[in-house]
Amino acid sequence: MTVAAGPAPDARVTPLTQCLLLAGKDLRLERRTGEALLVTAPFGAVALLLVPLSVGVDTPLLRQLGPAMYWLVVLLFGVLVTLRTSAVDSAAQLAMLRLAGVSARVRLAGRALGNGLLLLGFELLLAPVAVLLYNPDLTGWAWQVPVFVLVAAGLAVLGALADALAAGLAGRTTLGPLLVAPVAVPLLLGATGVLTAARYGRPPWPWLVLVLTVDLVAALLAAWCARYLEELT
Amino acid sequence: MTGSDVTTAGGTAGDRAVFGRRLPLVTGAAIAAGLFAALLSPPDAVQGELVRLMYVHVPTAWVAYLSYAVTLVTSIGWLWRRSPGLDRLAAASAEVGVFFTGLTIVLGSVWGRPTWGVWWTWDARLVTTALLFFIYLGYLALRRAVPEPALRARRSAVFGVVAFAQVPLVHFSVLWWRTLHQPPTVLRPGDPTIDHTMLATLVLSVVAFTLLYALLVRARARLAEAQDALETADLVRPGAVAGAAVTAPQKEGSCG
Amino acid sequence: MPPTAQPADSAEATGRDGARASPETVLARLEGVGVTIRRTPILRDLSLRLHAGEAVGVLGANGSGKTTLLHVLATLVVPCAGRAEVLGHEVASGSGTPARPRIALVGHQPALYPQLSLGENLRFVAQLSGRDAGKADRALAAVGLAGAAHRRAESCSQGMARRAELARVLMVEPTMLLLDEIHAGLDRDATGLVDEVVARVRGRGGVCVLVSHEPDRLAGLADRLVRIIDGHAVRAGVGQGSEAAR
Repeated sequence: MTVAAGPAPDARVTPLTQCLLLAGKDLRLERRTGEALLVTAPFGAVALLLVPLSVGVDTPLLRQLGPAMYWLVVLLFGVLVTLRTSAVDSAAQLAMLRLAGVSARVRLAGRALGNGLLLLGFELLLAPVAVLLYNPDLTGWAWQVPVFVLVAAGLAVLGALADALAAGLAGRTTLGPLLVAPVAVPLLLGATGVLTAARYGRPPWPWLVLVLTVDLVAALLAAWCARYLEELT
Repeated sequence: MTGSDVTTAGGTAGDRAVFGRRLPLVTGAAIAAGLFAALLSPPDAVQGELVRLMYVHVPTAWVAYLSYAVTLVTSIGWLWRRSPGLDRLAAASAEVGVFFTGLTIVLGSVWGRPTWGVWWTWDARLVTTALLFFIYLGYLALRRAVPEPALRARRSAVFGVVAFAQVPLVHFSVLWWRTLHQPPTVLRPGDPTIDHTMLATLVLSVVAFTLLYALLVRARARLAEAQDALETADLVRPGAVAGAAVTAPQKEGSCG
Repeated sequence: MPPTAQPADSAEATGRDGARASPETVLARLEGVGVTIRRTPILRDLSLRLHAGEAVGVLGANGSGKTTLLHVLATLVVPCAGRAEVLGHEVASGSGTPARPRIALVGHQPALYPQLSLGENLRFVAQLSGRDAGKADRALAAVGLAGAAHRRAESCSQGMARRAELARVLMVEPTMLLLDEIHAGLDRDATGLVDEVVARVRGRGGVCVLVSHEPDRLAGLADRLVRIIDGHAVRAGVGQGSEAAR
């Protein structure tokens, strides 16, 4: 029921299409700026290189520490990926998106999807570095494949939430990690738990279920709170 | 700006308006009684006099968890009713909670050193408490970072709910992680059985600390209310509409 | 003392249910709207009606609430007092969405992604709102930016960015066009482009609201002028926009 019929859009856009378009835009921006994969990923690699320098060249110890260090770096530096500058929407861009009919929930989902794909790339870039530097025991490595996806997804949603909470604030890039890191602990424990379980021949799936649960809870929370982050006054 | 400029909803300004009259007296009496009972209670068979730390450590931990529960409830309440009072209560409770969490960790450490021989142990409860401390430090940092009151209330309410919803998962994962790493059972605090006098003293201490919590949260919320009122008074002076100070261009005339 | 607020007109809405908009059709109605941001009352008891086919100029000092008024009309800001109805939909928290695809807002800052080309920017908006991506290229050509479609927004001048924004307006074909200080950074040719875009929207039975602190610019383009004083909208005169449109 409208007062005057304006020119209607050519076709109805589904929220899924909008979400994919938003994620595609984020990936395109990343391709142009290289912030996540050309700046943050090398920074993470530097961290992996610095750990042995501070621990000492104790090869068996490093072999044992390797996977834990890898996931720690993924968790801490992955938050920086989700808080990259190209993920900042200016007020004008936000107004444009809202007028284009993109809901707050779809915006958050699009950001999370973009984050997730970038985080997956980030994990895959750092994994060979960790293997090369630490030479870890790769028993049951196949279990890491779902872990990569699930951890990227969980961190992506939590990062998108923190990004929305810290949007427009002066200390955005320092506040964001503080908001995410303590609640992302189950992701870290799950990821390292799968490795440990696989190494000792125990079934790693309970840890996978844990990470999956964290992902689902985070996604539900994000879907619930998106509308509260929408209104301006 | 003197204290007398700030008049709260309660009426007169000053300490009495912030702390109230009866609650400080009741709290003071309860704390005195608790302290008295703690000093009179028998020493523990194993831990000796050190057990008296329990009468502070356990209540502070209880108050810390209570604070976060109150923050959760008031955050949900704010999202539902949009009442500024609930936002102030959430913030006050989180502040008091962070203080008591810090105190719990420090006291636990002081207690742990002579009983377990270590300042820190990777007990699941300890790790979760430490993580709670950082989660709510983040909550307070978020509040400090948002200058606009309505935006601050909304964002911190959302974080207050999201953060708390993750806490069970955090605790469960840490608990699970501990079972995987076989915790040394010697380092488990608390006995399954507890002396009746000690239990009564503990209950008294918990009551006293809960009263102290109520007093602090109420005072902090009242201070926040006074601060809000002061800021609003500064902004809403007569004619203080944005841009009103600037003379408007007069070219077209025929105003009104 | 603040002057008494006067609704700028009293005509009632007629053509509902998608009937062709007549000049009597009210496209937006604000009644006693109040907006407070950061505890500062920006708009107070503001009443305004916007009719189909008209162009309204909004004047006011810096910080008087002109931009906030545009945001209320764009359904982006929910008033904390009063009633706002835009394109037949009440502006309330969580609503207003159905009207949004028919509103275009050109603000102070360009809503362009700096690292995307002008063409990519426009196609992105087109796809998001369910429009044919080809419209984006045609709109860019219409504002004289066909040759710059591959240029990244970050390497464009302010004038080019403004033109790209006008191209977005042409593509969206809004029923309500909201322009905030549109003349800033525009050359003479582009100013003509603004006139054309405004005339197009009006010709289709839409409404244009132009905000400026330069009365001269608005007087030539708007049918009537409204000034925001003390948070209220006050009738400030009649422009020559109606003659210009003919």
